[in-house]
Amino acid sequence: MAAPRIRVLVIGGHPVIRGVVRLACESLEGFELERELSSVGEGMALTPDGFPDLLVLDLDLPDGDGLELLTALRERGYTGRLLVLSDRHDGATVLGALRSDADGYLTKSEGLRGLSEAMERIAAGERVISPELQQLAVAELGRFARRAREGAQAQSVLTPRELEVLAHLADGLTMQQIGRRLGISPRTVETHVSKLYRKLDVRSRVQAVSKAASLGLIDLG
Amino acid sequence: MPIALVPGHTADAGSVAPHYHPEGMDPLGRRTASSPPAPARRRLGVVVVDPLPVVRAGLALLIDDRPDMEVLADVGTADEGLEVIARTRRTRVVVLVGLGLGGEHDAAWLIRAVRERHPAHAVLGVGANADPISISRALFVGADGFIDKNVDPVEFLQALRKAADGEMVLVTPPAVQVGRIAESIDRRREIDVRLTEREREVLEVAAEGLTARQIAERLGVRERTITTHLARIYGKLGVGTRLAAINMATRSGLVAAGAPE
Repeated sequence: MAAPRIRVLVIGGHPVIRGVVRLACESLEGFELERELSSVGEGMALTPDGFPDLLVLDLDLPDGDGLELLTALRERGYTGRLLVLSDRHDGATVLGALRSDADGYLTKSEGLRGLSEAMERIAAGERVISPELQQLAVAELGRFARRAREGAQAQSVLTPRELEVLAHLADGLTMQQIGRRLGISPRTVETHVSKLYRKLDVRSRVQAVSKAASLGLIDLG
Repeated sequence: MPIALVPGHTADAGSVAPHYHPEGMDPLGRRTASSPPAPARRRLGVVVVDPLPVVRAGLALLIDDRPDMEVLADVGTADEGLEVIARTRRTRVVVLVGLGLGGEHDAAWLIRAVRERHPAHAVLGVGANADPISISRALFVGADGFIDKNVDPVEFLQALRKAADGEMVLVTPPAVQVGRIAESIDRRREIDVRLTEREREVLEVAAEGLTARQIAERLGVRERTITTHLARIYGKLGVGTRLAAINMATRSGLVAAGAPE
């Protein structure tokens, strides 16, 4: 009796990665590698009628961040299974992948030995992630929760004007420039800045900007 | 006769006992009659706070059975819990807070209080088949993790130890996804930022289903003040009814969605 067909799509920057996935599909009953893509650009061009049953996505793509591609695909309506491959094994990346509903996460340093088995189990509805990586994601979740709490607190004690000044500080403007931008005197800017420092519990512009970024009050990107 | 040098080792070379069974303990790490308990200062102290007496009794039995941990107290209210915590001299303490703890001093209140007054202690949310929103609620207010009661007891205890060692723990049935919890935390942050502390207070009390007058009584202000607050809340949240506001608050974990168990 024929196994149900599982259509696979791989997005991998390196031919070796794509090759390993290809071999895995060939060795697995019922798995069909439909397409091989090699960049974020190609991935972004995917439309729902091109969606596979199982997407194997290498996060380390040559032209951009695989996590962003992942988010975009999920937003575009991709609801199929997802296996993420990466060199990165830090909590933030793993958590990022899990937030996009990755069903599995394999690090490439292991030589992708468990790839076939992982693909089979994921296609069958299981989740495949090592306890170590799961723990990293959990630890990151804790930090994430703390930043959310402290960020919300900080954001609610800062006035809209202070948030504005903070954003300009992050852009590297001088007090004079900020004053001109906001139509207030440099003296007033200084008052805002010192109140800002006190509320953030910092002593310098660098500390203020760094803390604000880590709390998500400003975007340094 | 085999001599236990340290847990996990036995000096008797002739013994056929597998080396991972420490002298005096059975395969589950439970103390058998022949071994002494671990010295008191090393023992992990656990404070169990849960409204259900049977749950408290069950957890107490499970924990006290282990040589490396003991229940300092099991209590049914947040205030009693804080009292016990304030009195203990133990340095390795884990506080287990049942997410079903309700009322004014509910689970979230207690987690926040422990985090503020006793930052060195680990505090964990404990629930039964809890959903990502309830878990995110505990984490957002500062819990060092969450353990579901619907897990293997050995795993449960291992998580306690990890938490006491300063690790973040999350032990849930497989269906609960870390990603969903993170999303809930994001939603919570968004709503927290939009409202003032007072407005959050009003909304939390309103979610109990009280009338404006009852809310006013609870918070010690005039009814007119409450209706003003509510109107402002609706505006900020972009909703038109109290039900919609409460729904938003519930979905973000700002208010607990009834008893999680």
